[in-house]
Amino acid sequence: MLLFRDEEHVDRWRKARDLPRGGLMTPDQAERLARGWYGRKLAPDWRRHTLEETEALLAEVGLTGPFWNLRGT
Amino acid sequence: MVTGSSAPDGFAEDVRRYVFATAAATGEVPQPPAIAQALARDVEEVRDALKRLAAGKVLILAPNDGNIWAANPFCAVPSGFRVTSEGKTYWGICIWDSLGISAALGSDAVIDAPCGDCGEPMRLEVRGSKLARGEGVVHFAVPAHRWWDNIGFT
Repeated sequence: MLLFRDEEHVDRWRKARDLPRGGLMTPDQAERLARGWYGRKLAPDWRRHTLEETEALLAEVGLTGPFWNLRGT
Repeated sequence: MVTGSSAPDGFAEDVRRYVFATAAATGEVPQPPAIAQALARDVEEVRDALKRLAAGKVLILAPNDGNIWAANPFCAVPSGFRVTSEGKTYWGICIWDSLGISAALGSDAVIDAPCGDCGEPMRLEVRGSKLARGEGVVHFAVPAHRWWDNIGFT
């Protein structure tokens, strides 16, 4: 996951690599996603998120749609 | 597929807690010799435990030497993503992990990262568990269901 100055820079980067556009989010969304994902990583009883927990986190941050579907193949 | 709870065995759990506590406290991810010394075990036992933790997606090993590449969100080697928090320097392997370092530490942080396209320096700041300063956009190259297939590229 990379940070870009704006969407124009994203498109220039991905076209140079013949990549489709992936998922875009604001830095605020990325911070909330990171907080939900890593906020308990140092807890002694940490465990990985379940699929359902991860889906709930993505939805909470506003990341919905096919790109953010965890059940794809 | 991002699913399933890992259930490492007792020693692997000891290794996990030591690795993450040390990374958080010092900014440096300990490698097998230091872990073995701290836990008074053989290096090979530590390497085996790290393999089990890697299999459980708890951390990522370097492909060739079996050392830790990242105890996510803490990267073991300097990267383009520098996180400064409470006077210490940490490294993330991407912007998500860099923000995750602040979240895991529960402390304010300044994140310096280059634009993925032009390399111009950019800065994000987290204060009080919220983004206090942000710029730009974040791009995820890999669809969510394939995160773990290619974690270094995501």
